[in-house]
Amino acid sequence: MSGFVKAADRGLAGCHTCGLVSPEKLGRCPRCGVVLHTRTPNSIQRTIALMLAAAVLYIPAHILPIMTIMELGVVEPNTIVGGMLYFWKSEAYPIAIVIFTASILIPLMKIVALSWLCAAATGYVKPSPPMLGRLYFVTELMGRWSMVDIFVVGILVSMVQLGNYMTVVPEAGALAFAGVVLLTMFAAMSFDPRLLWDQLDKQ
Amino acid sequence: MSKASKMWAAMVPWPKPAGGRRYSACHFCDTLHEAHPVEEGASAVCQRCGVVLYQNRWASMARASAFSLAGLILMSVGHLFPFLTMDAAAMRMNLSLWGAAAALMREGAPILGMGILIFTVLAPYLLTCGMIYVCLPLMWGHALPGARFVAKWMYRSEQWNMVEVFLLGVLVSLLKIAKVADVTFGVGFWAFTGVMLCMAGAVAGIDREELWDRLEVAES
Repeated sequence: MSGFVKAADRGLAGCHTCGLVSPEKLGRCPRCGVVLHTRTPNSIQRTIALMLAAAVLYIPAHILPIMTIMELGVVEPNTIVGGMLYFWKSEAYPIAIVIFTASILIPLMKIVALSWLCAAATGYVKPSPPMLGRLYFVTELMGRWSMVDIFVVGILVSMVQLGNYMTVVPEAGALAFAGVVLLTMFAAMSFDPRLLWDQLDKQ
Repeated sequence: MSKASKMWAAMVPWPKPAGGRRYSACHFCDTLHEAHPVEEGASAVCQRCGVVLYQNRWASMARASAFSLAGLILMSVGHLFPFLTMDAAAMRMNLSLWGAAAALMREGAPILGMGILIFTVLAPYLLTCGMIYVCLPLMWGHALPGARFVAKWMYRSEQWNMVEVFLLGVLVSLLKIAKVADVTFGVGFWAFTGVMLCMAGAVAGIDREELWDRLEVAES
């Protein structure tokens, strides 16, 4: 055991919204009215469930086209990977790297990082909490940038409406990918980092 | 004393709520600390994991209100002008947030259209209007009716504000379209770049603990 006292050991809970520390048995925070928990209930189960759903959706998100470009009667479905390769081949390397990072790497890294965090919080692996902390904060911070491809679809659909010459239509892959991004964001939110320290103190 | 300096002098520092000893629990490792006031510019750090517990930022309420107000004005202006203008095949197309959302809804992706509206219109408006409603009167120790409710929703909308991601999307799209048409940046793009910076300044300006302590004292 470390020499530090945890709020939970004294039945106290720090409010998620306003930060006030009050006894958990009050039920709701006396200052802002939000439900009090010493630990997020079913944190690990929720995180794993959301993460698995995201991992499953990741497949259609990359196999299905996110949009179809119709140019002079030629129909060309566009996948995320295809879009990235297009930029790479036309030597727009920075933008290809941005798309690769935002759309392919970050969702995968989030899924791997959250699995690692869940494994650490349940005691299957034993890395140091400060390292995990950094991992957790980075995961929370990066997730939003994956939305960039969804915005690109929206922008192209709205701008490239040139009748018979060229039009862009959104496809199912975009919806699946938006699902991946939202599910990984919710998964990161439902993970309670305090469980990592509980696990450390148990050992 | 001039009117302006009187107003300035009436601005209250971070007050200490009544009710005796206060505690602070680290949101990362749950270590319990006694919460002592810190002077302006200083921050309290968790003794176990080193995460910041709370910090007393310089002129926090004034900065949050000013940045939010600037952000709100820029945002309202930005909505009136296109982000991008494209000339192709004797046609001129303009890009706006509403246009992008409407196009997605029309072309069979209504959920994505709603998403664009929530992440780039609703959340930024909630955040800036909420900050002005809560922080501006708090500079002088007042709280408007329903300030706690607004503050709660303001915090929840913070992570769903994706203006900066949308701007990156505009840049990527620009490079995609530039091959087939002439594309130019519009006022909307620059206005929203300003919105992004203002939001970052406003959010960085306030500390959660301080905001709620001030609300608590103002309403008691």
